[in-house]
Amino acid sequence: MDLFGDIASFLLIAQEGGGEEDGGGNFLVSPNVGLMIWTLLAFGVTLYLLNKLAFPRIAEALDRRRRAIDESIDQAERTKREADELLEEYRARLREAREQAEDIVVRARRAADALADQSKAAANRQREELMAATRREIEAETRRALDEIRKEVANLTVAATEKVTRKSLTPDDHRRLIEEALGEVDFSALAGDGDGSPRAGERESR
Amino acid sequence: MTTARATEERPEQGPAERGGLSLKAKLAIALGVYLLVAIVLYAIFGSDGRNEEFQPQDEFKLDPWIELKIGSLDLSFNKAVLYLLIACALTAGTMLLISKRMQQRPNRTQTIIEGAYDLTYNNIAKGNMPEDAAAKWFPFVATLFFFIWFSNMIGYLPLPVNDHETVDIVGIEFPAFALYAATANLSIPLVLTLTVFFLYQAEGIRRHGLVKYFKGWLPAGVSGAAAVPIFVIEVISQFVRIISLSVRLFANILAGHLLILFMGGGLAVLLGIAALGWITLPVAIAFFIFEVGLIATLQAFIFATLTSIYFGEATAGGH
Repeated sequence: MDLFGDIASFLLIAQEGGGEEDGGGNFLVSPNVGLMIWTLLAFGVTLYLLNKLAFPRIAEALDRRRRAIDESIDQAERTKREADELLEEYRARLREAREQAEDIVVRARRAADALADQSKAAANRQREELMAATRREIEAETRRALDEIRKEVANLTVAATEKVTRKSLTPDDHRRLIEEALGEVDFSALAGDGDGSPRAGERESR
Repeated sequence: MTTARATEERPEQGPAERGGLSLKAKLAIALGVYLLVAIVLYAIFGSDGRNEEFQPQDEFKLDPWIELKIGSLDLSFNKAVLYLLIACALTAGTMLLISKRMQQRPNRTQTIIEGAYDLTYNNIAKGNMPEDAAAKWFPFVATLFFFIWFSNMIGYLPLPVNDHETVDIVGIEFPAFALYAATANLSIPLVLTLTVFFLYQAEGIRRHGLVKYFKGWLPAGVSGAAAVPIFVIEVISQFVRIISLSVRLFANILAGHLLILFMGGGLAVLLGIAALGWITLPVAIAFFIFEVGLIATLQAFIFATLTSIYFGEATAGGH
């Protein structure tokens, strides 16, 4: 650089001005051109090496790191976003699953209730049917028993009348006698007894 | 400067540990012992009278080690040149070594260098110059910072460079250890300052053109007859920068070294009172820590920052 030449010539003049350097501490402040040139050399070499080799590498490494950090941050943000989405999705799914589960439970409970009601109704119906059948049987039995008693009473009445009167009776007599006898006998108690009382029904069912 | 005396006395320094005493009592005892040693030393050695031989400034004198003359130009190799070369080697070596092994996950040294790089780039260069000027002049400013910093720092390492005093080891005369700093010699800060001065003027002229650049020296709004004296003042202030920038660095480092020299035994030798060396030693240690811990870095920072500011002014084109 011609600049350095300028500086050197400037300094040469300066040195000639304050040249006598041996008295006291003058040499401390009087410029020394040779030393200046050495300084420029040392500084120039340092500047060259740092500028050409050191600084670009450091800058590049720092840039690279900054880029890496930027990327890492971006990546982290992306990952976080994804994770958030995933979490949201899982939450939604969980909510859905819970709703479904509740639904299932409700339905199952309802089904169970329905089933219970149904079976209770069926049991009731069956019991009622059974009781009705029993009642019917008892009535029929009672009727049959009453008929037999009626027949027996009629026969007894005829036989007793024949024995008393020593004569056989005409069919008209028979009818009259029977009707009379039957009119006298009170069947209401029997009929009331056999008219589907729980006792009779119970005994029947056994 | 000679540190032999300082290192000799160092082991005596520091009072013995005493357990079970309050801090105040410990300090009082330490101070008592310290003064007692001083009195005892004075009693033993007394005063030898003023030492007329010892010239403290000779510590900074540059005697040519290897004579090298080109015409009237004296390029002799001396102590300062050695320090410059060490500074050059250390600056370039450290930066190259670190830059070659830049790790994605930095270790401690790399972190420090990266911090310094960041300081020079963002704080010193970008903080004071326009973006494009910062990009262009950052290497220059950063090199100034690192070069001056290393120059200052090696100035506090005792190196065997004393060519007045020698130490006899197994019959061979070795130069005594001494503290010296290249930046404590005016020539070195001055030539760096001149380089800065010419470069930023050239950059200003290149950017704005000669007329516009010099017009930029005038504060905004100044015109007419008032412009002439103000321009003269501005010109003077520009040239005063050469002195202020160089002398600030030179004087700070020289003053620090002189203080350490005098307090670390120089005063005792000069006055011929050995006990004084014992008294002034703690002051020397305090100044040493102050210089290494603050001044060396601060002055490098100020030099680089002012350089940036000058470049910033020149490139931004005006005050």
